Amino acid sequence: MAEENIQEETRQSQPVKPQDTASEGLDAAGKSLSEALRISFIILKVIMIVLVIAFLASGFRTVGPDEMALVLRFGKIQGVTEQRVLGPGPHWVLPYPIDEVVKIPVEQKINLPIDSFWYYQTRDDILGETAKRRTRIPENLDPVRDGYCLTRSESSSQAPITSGRSGPKVRVKVTYNKGDVEVSYRRFSRSNSQGEKMQGQEGSDYNIVHSKWQLTYQINDIELFFKNVYVQDVKPGQIYSEVMQQSITPLLKSVFEDAVVDAMVYYTVDEAIKSEDRIPQHVHRLVQRKLDEIGSGIRVESVYLTDVTWPRQVNEAFLASIRASQESQKAISEARTYAENTLNEAAGPIAQQLCASLHDDGITEEQKELLWSQVAGEAQKIIANSRAYRTKVVEAAKANADYFQRMLPEYRKRPRLVVQKLYQDAIEHVLENADEKFIIQPTEGTKGRELRILLNRDPLLKQKSASGGR
Amino acid sequence: MKNIAVPILVVLILIVMALYLVAFQVRETESAFITRFGKPVREITRPGLYFKWPTPIERVHTFDSRMRVLEAEIGETTTKGAVPMIVNTYIVWRIAEPLQFLNAVGTVQKAENKLISQINDTQNRVIGRHSFGEFVNSDPNKIRFEEIQAEMLVDFKAPVRDAYGIEVKTLGIKQLKISKDVSKDVFERMRAERKRRTEATIAQGNAEATKVRTDADAKKAELLATAEARAKAIQGQGDAEAAQYYQMLEEDPEFAIFLRNLEALKKTLSERSTLLIPADTEPFKYLKDIPSLEPKQ
Repeated sequence: MAEENIQEETRQSQPVKPQDTASEGLDAAGKSLSEALRISFIILKVIMIVLVIAFLASGFRTVGPDEMALVLRFGKIQGVTEQRVLGPGPHWVLPYPIDEVVKIPVEQKINLPIDSFWYYQTRDDILGETAKRRTRIPENLDPVRDGYCLTRSESSSQAPITSGRSGPKVRVKVTYNKGDVEVSYRRFSRSNSQGEKMQGQEGSDYNIVHSKWQLTYQINDIELFFKNVYVQDVKPGQIYSEVMQQSITPLLKSVFEDAVVDAMVYYTVDEAIKSEDRIPQHVHRLVQRKLDEIGSGIRVESVYLTDVTWPRQVNEAFLASIRASQESQKAISEARTYAENTLNEAAGPIAQQLCASLHDDGITEEQKELLWSQVAGEAQKIIANSRAYRTKVVEAAKANADYFQRMLPEYRKRPRLVVQKLYQDAIEHVLENADEKFIIQPTEGTKGRELRILLNRDPLLKQKSASGGR
Repeated sequence: MKNIAVPILVVLILIVMALYLVAFQVRETESAFITRFGKPVREITRPGLYFKWPTPIERVHTFDSRMRVLEAEIGETTTKGAVPMIVNTYIVWRIAEPLQFLNAVGTVQKAENKLISQINDTQNRVIGRHSFGEFVNSDPNKIRFEEIQAEMLVDFKAPVRDAYGIEVKTLGIKQLKISKDVSKDVFERMRAERKRRTEATIAQGNAEATKVRTDADAKKAELLATAEARAKAIQGQGDAEAAQYYQMLEEDPEFAIFLRNLEALKKTLSERSTLLIPADTEPFKYLKDIPSLEPKQ
């Protein structure tokens, strides 16, 4: 380049000198002409220098912060390994037509929503849905307009047990404290008769599911990308990154849709609706594999399953199924609550442990005793009552014995008086507490006398029974 | 000195002009070939600076060799077993041999038309060899979807390369669908399946709930029975301990029984009793007579 520079300089300076020496021998007219020529040569010289500088300056390129660039010398990528790629910042390359700089945005993460697996919606439909107006649902899907994926149906080994009409009714006897209770239910059988009739082919059942996706990608190998991926020429007034996005969208869309179709056949409709992570991961893997295979230099940043639904045509059935599972969950949790309460009432918080200990031979007596000492509720009441009884019985026996021991010496000394005294005291005590007393003259002779007494119904007793009965 | 500069300059300018006539670039994204008087002589698939005879003698034809995507129209085909299926296939292709390409098709537009009919052929041929169950199957191990696509690529790739100089990078099915009428049947089946599942869920739920309840009741019964048993044992202990005190009564059993009876009398008649008493019992006999008491000497 420097050589070229010098040549340009000499080319400009050489022609000027001969003019200066020749001018001395000329007349005034010639003088002024040579003067004009001299000036015009100077101007030319300046212009030339400016042009050369401008030419050289045209080699300056700035690579933006989110870009990477390649230098093409005569159309071929320049440099080896890391030097092939220019990072952000100013760079100087040989001017056109020798070098060319291709700048490609790499930092930019581009989102690409994929709606081609969603059912067809007109503008009115979309507006109608937001306005909560019921739209008419066609009873079938048009393969051209409506988008969907086929998913496999559950294999018979995974299918939940289903109540078949042919299943015999089974009675089960459950024995517990309130006597025998018969619980009857239908035996569950796995029947797949509905599905088999469809295609006449074993295992080719399938379901339909609608889904929406979002793909985020980034260009990570600009060399591969530049060499292999078709990008339209950028026309004046267009931005490269926009043109690039437009150009690669059909490719990405096709590859992505391919991956979705490939992946979805491996999942059931329920797995899809649960939006399990592994489905987008599976799609991610497939997309990346294919993009690598074709050498696109594009990296898939993320794949999201943004929306997924069963077909509107079978909405009722799916909702009913969801409701049923919620209801049965509720029934089970209610039953659990009942069980907890029942056991709590029976034996308090350690009921479960106690139950377990009943059938566990490995538990020592001490451990059992420890458990029973913590018992609460009804069982505790029963045991407490028995303890009270024990104390009462023992104490009573002891009291009797003590009393007897104390009275015995007295009795031995004065048997008649002691007996009399004790007897009289007892009678007195009894009579004091009696509500009514009748003293009757005993009859003599064989003929009995009839005596009729109208007993007062005890008002106290009545009251008691009335209040106790409630 | 000064006379040398001018010729140098002229030569330089001439060289540059000559270069423009005879040199040309092939960019990384392109491939090219050169025709001499219309007859192809050289094919260039590597980028760089190349030379040729000036234009009237040799001409350069460049082609964009980057990948393009092409999708066939969505179309119906049948699988083995005559099950109709609607698929949409796409390919990613590039011009690999520009000469062959130019001879066979010439333009991208024409190439695409040819490719589409080829795709349809391959699609029908390969899909016709496989049953529907290999596309979608309730048993994931039987799904051969990816293999089928690979088979299509193999079927497609070589003939297209030979015929048109086109390299097919990949081929895939991007939509897999069924006809309108079949979709109706599928919905019918999905409904039936849901219904079956709903019933199963309810039955399972009820069975589970019943089991939980009966289980709890049974456990309660068991616990209470055990508690009763323990209570009995404690009572028995109490009775046994009490019995020890009865030994002390053996000194005079008759007196002990008398005391016990008195106690029982007091207890049983302690409340709400109505007594009919013969008038000749102990204290009441005084209601009839005055006793004849005499002081004892």
